[in-house]
Amino acid sequence: SQSSEKHLGQFYTLPSAHFRPLFPHGLPYRYQQQVKTFNEACFMVRPPALEVISYLKKADYSKPALRYLFYGVKGSGKTMSLCHAVHFCYTQGWVVLHIPDAHLWVKNCKELLPSSYNSARFDQPLQATTWLRNFRTTNEHLLSQIKTKRRYVWTKRESTDEGRPLGELVNQGISRVKSSSDVVGALMKDLRLQSSQPGADFRLVVAVDGVNALWGRSTIKKENKSVDLEELTLIHNLKKLMKNDWTGGAIITTLSQTGSLYTPKSAYLPQELLGETGFDSMDPFIPVSVPNYSEKEFESAYLYYLDRKWLQHPQSRTEDGKKELSFLSSKNPSMLDRICGFL
Amino acid sequence: MAASLSGLLKPWTPRVFLVRWSRYNPYYLEPEVRKEAYSQPESELSAEEKEQRELKMIRPIKAAASGVTSSVFSDPVLSKFINMMMEHGNKVLAREIMTQTLENIKKKQVEKYHKAPEGQKEEIECNPYTIFHQALKNCQPVVGLESIRKGGKIYQVPIPLSDKRRSFLAMKWLITECRDNKHRRTHMYEKLSQEVMSAFVHEGNVIRKKNELHKMAESNRAYAHYRWW
Repeated sequence: SQSSEKHLGQFYTLPSAHFRPLFPHGLPYRYQQQVKTFNEACFMVRPPALEVISYLKKADYSKPALRYLFYGVKGSGKTMSLCHAVHFCYTQGWVVLHIPDAHLWVKNCKELLPSSYNSARFDQPLQATTWLRNFRTTNEHLLSQIKTKRRYVWTKRESTDEGRPLGELVNQGISRVKSSSDVVGALMKDLRLQSSQPGADFRLVVAVDGVNALWGRSTIKKENKSVDLEELTLIHNLKKLMKNDWTGGAIITTLSQTGSLYTPKSAYLPQELLGETGFDSMDPFIPVSVPNYSEKEFESAYLYYLDRKWLQHPQSRTEDGKKELSFLSSKNPSMLDRICGFL
Repeated sequence: MAASLSGLLKPWTPRVFLVRWSRYNPYYLEPEVRKEAYSQPESELSAEEKEQRELKMIRPIKAAASGVTSSVFSDPVLSKFINMMMEHGNKVLAREIMTQTLENIKKKQVEKYHKAPEGQKEEIECNPYTIFHQALKNCQPVVGLESIRKGGKIYQVPIPLSDKRRSFLAMKWLITECRDNKHRRTHMYEKLSQEVMSAFVHEGNVIRKKNELHKMAESNRAYAHYRWW
């Protein structure tokens, strides 16, 4: 209803009631500042996001989940397309499992605990608790309706019984920091199993930004030895989610070179960033290329900035100024944003 | 040691040849950077312009300085300010700070604009360039003080300042004030934007310094005739 081919290049304003719960995390930093300045959140309707949304509308949810992958050069709008698609799913009432940046889970880890469930693996309590909190804000209204299917035992005294609402599970993870990574794993497993069942009344969308982190390397060190990715609980559980052996939902992902470790700056194609193992595990996926702005989109973005009083330099309103902007930014969305910032 | 290395010693030539700051022969002419000057047809100051063009076709021209651009967004006052902020030749950093300052000022003003009720929207100035230029103008002193030695004693004598000197003093005060008198942990662009915004409304330390200079000059008015130029 909101997005169709007629609206290509135009701006879609997010209702403010949707903005705070949907995006506690997941939007680029500069965009968040822009939302704060203009007092409104606008997405430009672009072909890659429209394509994915049309597939989501037409897909058969009794078949295994389809995997969509946004790829493109740095700053071309992959994260924004992901967020647009996630917003569509939210308006349809799906459960949103949005991981803002998988790279943050494989680097700069302040606390690494040995996992209680499996002694070979490591836990990351801080990242897990922040993610659970954000998950709770996004899916507040649905968590009370979905019930757990299995009994989970956390310690000798604490356990979550079958049939309790998922909200309790999430609260358990937030209050007991030590077992939060295991809660994340249990949550993912439960949601996956439940959405596969034919009688399920909800659908699951898994949105991961920077999915190439799952098959790269990590810089976390434990006693001067680099930790292997398989030994991290969060990454292990996320990889299980990425396999398309469950039904009743969709997996939307983005590649990202900016946060990735040990990859060259010029790499942006799926083959280069995912590597052998990653590409093989993601194998039947739908790649969606996110190019720079076309003429019409650039025009639209320029007019939007003019309308919101963001382009203040008197020369930027002339034809010459516009040509110069187009040349300097080479129609790359993030470069255009940075240049218009000080003009 | 010297015998083994002598084969490697080449006459040293720098990687970058500095052409502009070596002394040009006065025969060389200044380059014309603005795009408009080249798109004008035969119709302007016919005699002088045509003579100038003839001269440019014959005489050699100096290399353009790296700080000037033919972009429509270039501003000489801004370039001067960026050069004054630059340390150890790090123009990239100085320019970055300047653009962040302008963006910060614009962000604050646009936020205020969007939150203001309809009646007050026209009064809010959103253009960071006009704010910056106006703030600099507000900081410029009208008269300066000079130490003049007369009869063994040194007097602080008020003297008129040229335009260049005034704008230089305004920019210098702004930069030194931001560097020295602010909290250590704030970024330079944050400090600069606060100072520029307060100078725009005639508040802040730089305006205060300018006013103190004016008061000193006023109090020393009696010695004004000690100036002989």
